[in-house]
Amino acid sequence: MAQIKNRLTPFFENITFDRDDNELILNFGPQHPSSHGQLRLMLHLQQEQIVKAHPDIGYLHRGMEKMAENMIYNEFMPTTDRMDYIASSSNNYGFALSVEKLIGLEVPRRAKVIRMMLLEINRLMSHLFWLATTALDIGAMTVFLYAFREREYLMDIIEGYCGARLTHAAIRIGGVPLDIQDSFISQLKDFLDKLPANIKDYEDLLDTNRIWLMRMEEVGIVSKEMALSWGCTGPMLRASGVQWDIRKEEPYELYDEVEFNVPWSDKGDNFARYRLYMQEMRESAKILYQTIDMYQECVKNGDTKLMAHAPKYVSAPKLDIMTQNYSLMQHFVLVTQGMRPPVGEVYVATESPKGELGFFINSQGGPYPYRLKLRTPSFWHTGILTDLLPGHYIPDVVSIIGTTNIVFGEVDR
Amino acid sequence: MRAYTPKDNVQAKPYYTDRFYKSPQVAKFAPQSDEVFNADLEAIKAKFDVLDAFIQVEQLVVYINAKDNYGVLELLKDELEYTQLSEMSAIDWLADRGGFEVFYQMLSMNKRKRIRIKLFIEDGQAVNSVEKLFRSADWSEREMFDMFGIEANGHPFMKRILMPYDWQGNPLLKTYPLQGDEFAALYEVDKIYGKEAREEIGPEIRDTARVDRYDSDRFSRLGHEVPKGTEITGNEPANEQSYQEDGGVFLIKKFDKESSVIIDDPQR
Amino acid sequence: MAQHKVNYTQNGGLPIALTSVDKIVNWGRSNSLWALTYGLACCGIEMMASGASRYDFDRFGTIFRASPRQADVMIVAGTLTKKHAEFIKRLYDQMTEPRWVISMGSCANTGGMFNTYATVQGVDRIIPVDLYLPGCAPRPETLQYGVMLLQKKIRANHASKAQKAKRLM
Repeated sequence: MAQIKNRLTPFFENITFDRDDNELILNFGPQHPSSHGQLRLMLHLQQEQIVKAHPDIGYLHRGMEKMAENMIYNEFMPTTDRMDYIASSSNNYGFALSVEKLIGLEVPRRAKVIRMMLLEINRLMSHLFWLATTALDIGAMTVFLYAFREREYLMDIIEGYCGARLTHAAIRIGGVPLDIQDSFISQLKDFLDKLPANIKDYEDLLDTNRIWLMRMEEVGIVSKEMALSWGCTGPMLRASGVQWDIRKEEPYELYDEVEFNVPWSDKGDNFARYRLYMQEMRESAKILYQTIDMYQECVKNGDTKLMAHAPKYVSAPKLDIMTQNYSLMQHFVLVTQGMRPPVGEVYVATESPKGELGFFINSQGGPYPYRLKLRTPSFWHTGILTDLLPGHYIPDVVSIIGTTNIVFGEVDR
Repeated sequence: MRAYTPKDNVQAKPYYTDRFYKSPQVAKFAPQSDEVFNADLEAIKAKFDVLDAFIQVEQLVVYINAKDNYGVLELLKDELEYTQLSEMSAIDWLADRGGFEVFYQMLSMNKRKRIRIKLFIEDGQAVNSVEKLFRSADWSEREMFDMFGIEANGHPFMKRILMPYDWQGNPLLKTYPLQGDEFAALYEVDKIYGKEAREEIGPEIRDTARVDRYDSDRFSRLGHEVPKGTEITGNEPANEQSYQEDGGVFLIKKFDKESSVIIDDPQR
Repeated sequence: MAQHKVNYTQNGGLPIALTSVDKIVNWGRSNSLWALTYGLACCGIEMMASGASRYDFDRFGTIFRASPRQADVMIVAGTLTKKHAEFIKRLYDQMTEPRWVISMGSCANTGGMFNTYATVQGVDRIIPVDLYLPGCAPRPETLQYGVMLLQKKIRANHASKAQKAKRLM
């Protein structure tokens, strides 16, 4: 086939390779199997050692903040799925919570329990995915296959709930749209009962593995000052010696009613982060067991409400819409014109699997947000590569990118 | 030359607003109602001008002068234990007030408190970079520059971060349409194939509601596709989709529906 | 190891199959479609899932390769942005012929839900596409079905002839 003519010049035309100072410039990405998306790194090398790193992002910038300014609040919900697409529900939740805080809604207890279940399932999914991809990057293919196997069970549970495997849109402003399906609890219990043995499998494969230890221990050390200064959150911060988990410190939903520990470490290297992820999976399982009990308590108490009652902002239940005239009118207005939150500003942070996921909303009383800023943890976890990579060797780049757990839907938005 | 259209009124507008509708306000509380916030505010007031301060949704909002931003953030970081800059960006008020509002979202882990520092700058005015205090501002300020065109004085690498370096326009301005301006429309075609290819490749299809049932390029008529350019009569025979030819495939066993097992239980 | 039964009464008692060059070449091409790992966004995760344990893409002879030089089919999985557009063209040009492109998911097909300034409204503005997979994100089953359809398309071609130039949209 004849080549379709294009006017792209050779890419490195403007870079001088033949430099006096023996520096080599290596271009890494934007399409690289271990860059976890579309990260481009310009690495300045002395021999194999990196002296300067320049991460270049924006290859997945789709303009979500601009989209939000041109959408009614409920319309934006599915778009949040595509930010951190490994754990979609946690984005849905962050957005729903910030709008609820803005309009001052109180969500029914049963909806809160279901939301917590979804959040923790998403955390498990995200951590399993992290383990799989990082292990694959380092060469541990078995762990990749094992972790994906377990992740599929969770995806089945979520799919049974909301019908989608990846992009859930499972949470609404004011509650959740559906009750969990009949098999949800039993499937979840089956999974959770098997999980400790599965985690032990991964740890048996990795914990004392010589290659894994060489690639992980004492590599990519993030000091406490660096982590704070770069705005790191989540496992990145906790591995560097700050015991800060928003679920514990500024509890939202029913996190103040459940028992769980916040694992942390003061080593700050790749291995500490790996241990932290494994430990967090165990804690998530612990929370999920407790939410199952809470859910059954709700069922016993006859607590059936799933959406908050706020006719100005939230549509009535489907049955009311179909039978009552006023509810139908309200629903029509809310769908066509959108809700109009009060004038004001809100910044709400939640603990997503990657770190602090914040939504800043400036509302001017219209149906569209005047300004919506998405504070995504991965953005700064990518930025820290600028300071973290110099001094390391080329193979370390892969393991460091792996353990920072960056997702490019989130970095570029 | 391309024809440029005016872009003062390009954002989505509610198509109906009740004449008598008055939007409520999110409740604001006096800073004195919270001990910790009050002490922090007093510490800021001792050194800098505070234009306004209130508590909104559990967070203290402080309005300061634009020139004080470095000093206030330094005070917050060094003395008041606000060790992290969670987020910073701007809000476009060009149409109403002729400038931008820049906000800094601070977090104190010891006090478990969050403060938002806000300042107003005129159009074209720059802010002082706080990159020396918080490394996270390095990328945030670049993003703000990219999205709004607000420069930060003293920033080491003030370049675009999300959009390509040769991009024109600042996407988050209210005068920038969601679907891009004339420059954005054919950016990738110009770059890859050159301006000559514009005609051949054609304009972008931005109408999400456009349905062309006779379009063979797309999948709007699954099972009734015809080659491009053929005359459409409307009663084409169905073209059944099957992934194997009827006569079987050389060296490959034909899939037999009858002899296959269907797994009902996904958890098997 | 798989145990292959040989029917010694056929083809003169030898484990031989007689066929044309076209068919044998197409058989080889269609059953070893090595895909370029081109996960751009969410669909890339589903692409990985179809390569992983449950969906097991290796059954189709589809193995993900990180280098365009070793790949036959480019699965564009995810949103293509204007900043990235030039790289897809570069990678496509680096692939050896014959080459095919699967556009996976709504974003790659038409821009999908991202009808914004930064998104390319369909990869067929940049490179010719053989197969469009609908969905946001398509399930791994969809991708596998798509690969099977592509195999059918390859078998229908004459292997000895050069591929006709594909046109952009």
